[in-house]
Amino acid sequence: MTARFTGIQRGGLLVAALLRIGQALLTALAASVIVWALLPLAPGDVARRVLLARGMQDLTPAEIESAREELGLNDPLTIQFLNWLGGVLQGDLGQSFTSQAPVAREIMERLPATVMLLGLALAFSIALSLVFALIATACRDRWPDRAIRLYTQIGAALPTFVFALLALTFLVVGFQLGRVLADPSWSAALIPAFIIGLDRAASWTQLLRAGLLEAMASGYAEVARARGASERRILLRHALPNALLPFLTAIGVSIGALIGGVPLIEAIFTWPGLGAYLLEALSSRNYPVIQAYVLITALSYVTAALLIDLAALVLDPRLRDRPA
Amino acid sequence: MSALDITRPDTVPQAVDRRLPRQLWRHPSGRAGLLIGLALLLCAAIGCVWTPHAPDVPNYANALKAPSLAHPFGTDATGRDMLSRVMDGAHRSIGAAVLVLGAVFAIGLVAGTLAGLAGGLTDSVVMRIADIAMTLPGLVLAFAVLGLLGPGFVNLLIALIIADWAWYARLARSLSLDARKRPHVIAARMAGIPRWRIILGHILPGVALRVGLVATLALGGMIGAISGFSFLGLGVQPPAAEWGALLAESRLFFALAPWLLIAPAGFIFLSVLSANLVGNALRDVASPGEA
Repeated sequence: MTARFTGIQRGGLLVAALLRIGQALLTALAASVIVWALLPLAPGDVARRVLLARGMQDLTPAEIESAREELGLNDPLTIQFLNWLGGVLQGDLGQSFTSQAPVAREIMERLPATVMLLGLALAFSIALSLVFALIATACRDRWPDRAIRLYTQIGAALPTFVFALLALTFLVVGFQLGRVLADPSWSAALIPAFIIGLDRAASWTQLLRAGLLEAMASGYAEVARARGASERRILLRHALPNALLPFLTAIGVSIGALIGGVPLIEAIFTWPGLGAYLLEALSSRNYPVIQAYVLITALSYVTAALLIDLAALVLDPRLRDRPA
Repeated sequence: MSALDITRPDTVPQAVDRRLPRQLWRHPSGRAGLLIGLALLLCAAIGCVWTPHAPDVPNYANALKAPSLAHPFGTDATGRDMLSRVMDGAHRSIGAAVLVLGAVFAIGLVAGTLAGLAGGLTDSVVMRIADIAMTLPGLVLAFAVLGLLGPGFVNLLIALIIADWAWYARLARSLSLDARKRPHVIAARMAGIPRWRIILGHILPGVALRVGLVATLALGGMIGAISGFSFLGLGVQPPAAEWGALLAESRLFFALAPWLLIAPAGFIFLSVLSANLVGNALRDVASPGEA
């Protein structure tokens, strides 16, 4: 049917991608408004905190007033926001209330550790869920499938931090598989990332398994079967590509959860990354650091969601259509 | 779904009626989930009035004992019985989740149906606020709010409510828009029933029932999220017992007494499991047409 009759406008990849990118930019802007608003909303006088952070004591009202002027706190809120945004775009995230160092520099020292751990964990969870879901589908209702279903039920019901704590205590420490206190390196990240990946993979396996079973029962799988294709070929060549797209979207949705859980994960593995930095800042009311953390996690979440949606647009032309 | 983020059930029940409790009970995984959930509630209720030992009286002669008949889950570093601590903490863990979900249910229901039924400017304003609240992952927003308010039990509840209400508002909005087109609502309109009575009597009950069902099934995930914040020391403050805080306490002695982790971890596990099992059953019985 042509577009006129279906009421659907066949869209090009470029238009759809640009629309999605524009939407991501808007989301990033909205997120940055929230982040900025944390400082004016924070209890206590910001100028006072900044001066104390600079090591000044016994502040007079005149000093505070001149600091307010200097920091632009007397400007209208919109101007303050634009100034702040301009600073952020140039990599200026403010000054830590406790260490007086630029927050951007402190963040850059800790970011690699978190990226390392999260990246490895993500790779493990995708790989594990692919393997588990394929095995479960191929051996449907036989013991491997039953075992994997039991694992997914348990994994889905254990919050990641509880799972990580139990795995660390009973497996890693119990059997002396590795060091608990670690400096951030790829080899040290392996065990924590595997544990996180194993827990994440549980719910993703459930999803992918359901998608694969649905695809295996579909019309095109039936046709392939009638044509004499082997079950393995149907699974890998026909069912898997079709089941991958919803799987990809599901990953996009739960990446927010993965990023949001970083402080917990890092607390359990005593990992010196961004999450540990945030927890320090929370206990000392170090607002610029809290702001920077929320900004960075929000931006990485928006970027990850954008990349996944763009990948989906490339893979599935139907997603490019818009209601006319 | 595992509960790193504030998790919610992944399906909204389509057909909900009086038969639902019985249908859930007949479904094997539904029955298991309901039984586990009832057992946990019972445990919390008993824990309010009676525990095998005093949950907060230290007994240093009895510290870090391995599980035994007198102390099925062992004793902690100051000799307090772990089973009693967990039972004492149950009403805090479960109660906190009930409070948060009750609040987001109420806020979401009112804001969502208002936006959906009023339309126009109200709709735009409410939904743009919800959109902004949803730009950040729930946990990150909760951390941000906690950063503003400072750690503490009440502040944690406020942070989670701010982080979670928007999703329920969206759900209530789409369900109420949907309900407007239902035959019984159209029939009521044609019968000349006043608008406010249609909204209160014909639209709201159905929307509330379904949003409430979703909120109930989110209890397990919310217990997990709250215990995570308490584990970090941002929620329930010691010496009050709560499952996440108990995990944090027990964790300090994992080399000497690893069994201390079992009771709090097990109870968190059972609450999420109960919600997952009932959720699975609900997907089977109340969403016909879906595989």
